[in-house]
Amino acid sequence: MFRTLSFALLTAGAVAFTGPAFAEEDPLKVGMSGGYFPFTFVEQDTLKGFEVDVMEAVAEEMQREVTFVTANFSGLFGMLESGRIDTIANQITITEEREAKYTFTRPYVYDGAQVVVKEGNDAVAGVEDLRGKTVAVNLGSNYEQLLRELPYADDIDIRTYESNIEQDTALGRVDAFVMDRISASQVIKEKPLPLALAGQPFSEIRNALPFRDTEQGRALRDGVDEALSALREDGTLAELSERWFGTDITRH
Amino acid sequence: MSVLDFDYMLGLLPILLGYLPLTLGMAMAGMVLALALACGLAVIRVLEIRGLNAVTLLFISFFRGTPLLVQLFLFYYGLPQVLAFLTQIDGVTATIMGLTLHFSAYMAESIRAAIVGVDRSQTEAALSIGMTNAQLMRRIVLPQATRIAVPTLMNYFIDMIKATSLAFTLGVTELMGATQKEAAGSFLYFEAFVTVAVIYWAIVEAFAWLQRRLETRLNEAYRR
Repeated sequence: MFRTLSFALLTAGAVAFTGPAFAEEDPLKVGMSGGYFPFTFVEQDTLKGFEVDVMEAVAEEMQREVTFVTANFSGLFGMLESGRIDTIANQITITEEREAKYTFTRPYVYDGAQVVVKEGNDAVAGVEDLRGKTVAVNLGSNYEQLLRELPYADDIDIRTYESNIEQDTALGRVDAFVMDRISASQVIKEKPLPLALAGQPFSEIRNALPFRDTEQGRALRDGVDEALSALREDGTLAELSERWFGTDITRH
Repeated sequence: MSVLDFDYMLGLLPILLGYLPLTLGMAMAGMVLALALACGLAVIRVLEIRGLNAVTLLFISFFRGTPLLVQLFLFYYGLPQVLAFLTQIDGVTATIMGLTLHFSAYMAESIRAAIVGVDRSQTEAALSIGMTNAQLMRRIVLPQATRIAVPTLMNYFIDMIKATSLAFTLGVTELMGATQKEAAGSFLYFEAFVTVAVIYWAIVEAFAWLQRRLETRLNEAYRR
């Protein structure tokens, strides 16, 4: 541990004098939460998921190494901001606020926001029934924003969570949670929690990879974008999507 | 859903135990550094060294007055926006620094209390037989202060072990981070969190046992 500490102090000192040197062969550093099934999750100590497969294919296409950095979702944008990672592969939805601050690749996943309730909860049959209800969303996700844009937003008790929103809905602690339709369906299908989809998705969302809006960030974004386009054309994206979701979520 | 999945928990145990060295390593490094820093701060406070005393008071006030999580975010995500080279500090180092600064503020006060808590007559007796201030500290005051301080310092160490669970917000996959990610893969939240709770509890109990032995030894001279 002391070695890590002194090493970090030494490198901090060295870099302060020489300035950072970004070699082309630096691995692409990709941040993700590791807690978003089936996009990024851990089983038997191994990081898996759609995002992992996509980013590995992107890196291969770019002929670069890739390293994955996992952190709580709320820490990911801070890591991007402070230059500790190059991008975030965690189903980041393109929003106005984020576009003002970051530069995005073209979308690689198209999805919708979905209301999910505890099985047997007939009081909520869709987004229109959320008035007067308690609804959970993940901290830092854009679903809170989507809910606040509803005309009756003031009547919804929105609770933001670090993690475990599925669990708290199954426990009945909140009336519903909002998540993207794809992973909500996966959760219900594969996991032993008594949950059900409520109604249709209520907003199209487009997910892409954000980069820092700097010269270097934009250059990297262009490289990744190119790789994504190539993977879309040769069918790799569709194939990965079929494998994880049984359907192609990478197109409209 | 309703029954505990013991097979899953047994399978999870060795995976999670693999993260124990990191969790304990961060806590131990934090403890050693915090102890050293706290001793310095306590001496400044006891001797009321001019100038340094005011800085020490401000330091203790800030690091005791703000949550550890806020301090960690401040060092890891906030400061690098102002001082770019701080980006080179990795999550483990940042966590150890955060633990050190945060807990040294608390420990400084309990060490100061322990030093002040040694009976005045001890000091007077030592001075009366011609001991110097340094001898007085080393031979008379500090050994007795140690005995007074050990229980509270061990308490802080135990707290520090558990505080390392915040490191996942800085991207350090320690015991708690590993548990959260495994739970996300299996959705067996109850099993995963029961397992990690038992691990933390067992470690803390082991250190509590060490503490009792240490206290018995330090108290030997006082037994009647």
